[in-house]
Amino acid sequence: MGSSALATVRARTLFAPLDAGGRAETVARRLAQAITLGLLLDGERLPAESQLASQFGVSPVTLREALAMLRDLGLVETRRGRAGGSFIRAPDDSQAVQVESVLRLLSVHELRDIGDHRAAVAGAAAKLAAERALAGDIATLREHAGRLHAARSRTERRRADARIHVEIAAAAQSPRLTREEMSLWSEVGDLVWLPVTDDQVAEVAAEHDRLVDSIARQDPEQARQAAERHVQAETGRLLDLRLRMGTA
Amino acid sequence: MTALGQPPPGAARPAHPVLADPVLAARATSLLTGITQRIGQVLAQVTDIGAAAESIAAATQATGPPLRRDDFSPLHRLVTELLRAQAGLAAGAGIVLAPGTLADAPRCIEWWWADPQAQVSKLHVDLDPESAEFYDYTTTEWYREPERTGQTSVAGPYVDFICTREYTFTLAAPIRCAGRFIGVAGADILAAQVERLVLPGLAGLGRTAVLASGHGRVIVSTSATLAPGAALPRAPRQAGFTPLAGPGAGQPPGLLPWSLFTVPTT
Repeated sequence: MGSSALATVRARTLFAPLDAGGRAETVARRLAQAITLGLLLDGERLPAESQLASQFGVSPVTLREALAMLRDLGLVETRRGRAGGSFIRAPDDSQAVQVESVLRLLSVHELRDIGDHRAAVAGAAAKLAAERALAGDIATLREHAGRLHAARSRTERRRADARIHVEIAAAAQSPRLTREEMSLWSEVGDLVWLPVTDDQVAEVAAEHDRLVDSIARQDPEQARQAAERHVQAETGRLLDLRLRMGTA
Repeated sequence: MTALGQPPPGAARPAHPVLADPVLAARATSLLTGITQRIGQVLAQVTDIGAAAESIAAATQATGPPLRRDDFSPLHRLVTELLRAQAGLAAGAGIVLAPGTLADAPRCIEWWWADPQAQVSKLHVDLDPESAEFYDYTTTEWYREPERTGQTSVAGPYVDFICTREYTFTLAAPIRCAGRFIGVAGADILAAQVERLVLPGLAGLGRTAVLASGHGRVIVSTSATLAPGAALPRAPRQAGFTPLAGPGAGQPPGLLPWSLFTVPTT
């Protein structure tokens, strides 16, 4: 993909008009997520404020508010003068800081709603997987659950975790649920492992084992409950961390 | 060979002995042969791509330098030919290479997909193991089966979350160099396309019937209660299914170990 085509794709996804009621927090969060996903790179210059405001479909005042929030979080730097403008600040070693910034920009209400959405998708996928998974699917799920135990870094854990949930939706034989899991994980996946402390890692990995066990036992209701409880526990940890952060 | 519709010698006696009507069984066998031949045409082109990849690998190895990604660029023409010739059936095709095969890339997917107008585009996949979106193809059935058996394989139906993002079959042929497995050539076929080819004939059997994979996964069905994606009971005969064609009916497995059954009415 050429850089101009890439720019078009990014413009469509990042700068799509916001829903009615979109505010500075939403603009700031979308930009912060783009930074954590690596869509906006360190040192990259953002389009002019007026252009950015019209792309997001917000007023210049709202856009300036959003940029101020990102400046406070250290994700954007504004320089004056001829070569001035707003520039992305995302040095490689600041990934955890960036993810925290995304969390800070999400309200408790939004976090709870994301948790509800994830629990609905994961619960339905687990139930259908318990009804439909064949021996080969179970072996795949066990393998990826094992990879989560072996994962050493947060990136590895997030990747193994996302893969288990995508594989469960695939074992449910549902392309739509699979695409939904993929989209949820690319949107909020970085957040999931943020509040997990080192001494909690084994327990989170064991939660996945129990979920896979209930699918392997072909017990649809238990599988659904295991998935829902698992996502609810993750949401609880995130809410807890978000509440301890206070207001942005 | 065991007569159609009868259990093979030594098989457990079904709880409700069921014999398929020979005319019905013959029509089912013809339907299964038809879809097998159609998919066989795609698999033949996949095997050609695999053979071309083997020639490239062998020629490069003979002259000394390590294999590089660009060495395989001549395959693009063969892949495009496959996607054009099989437009409406094959949704994607290409090669993947075993980790460590190339000198200039740890992993390699050279895969193209065709849109409904048969426009061919390159697939971009994140192969950086450090990335959270990293895709490890070496764990998939379509990669592992040719690696394990050295034979062509037809994996699926499965949810392909990388290329088609749909319910898909992947046909694959191993690529070998100096007796060593170095990857697979493959093509993706959407389950919806197989349904389009099979459903009219299946409905024409005049009985509620399913086409199922060798793993016991329903591929095409005329039953609303046993839709595609459902798993057949482990012992279909004992559960009242009548085998009509394929290994499930005692016929030797051909290119595809798929079987046709009538569905019990309850």
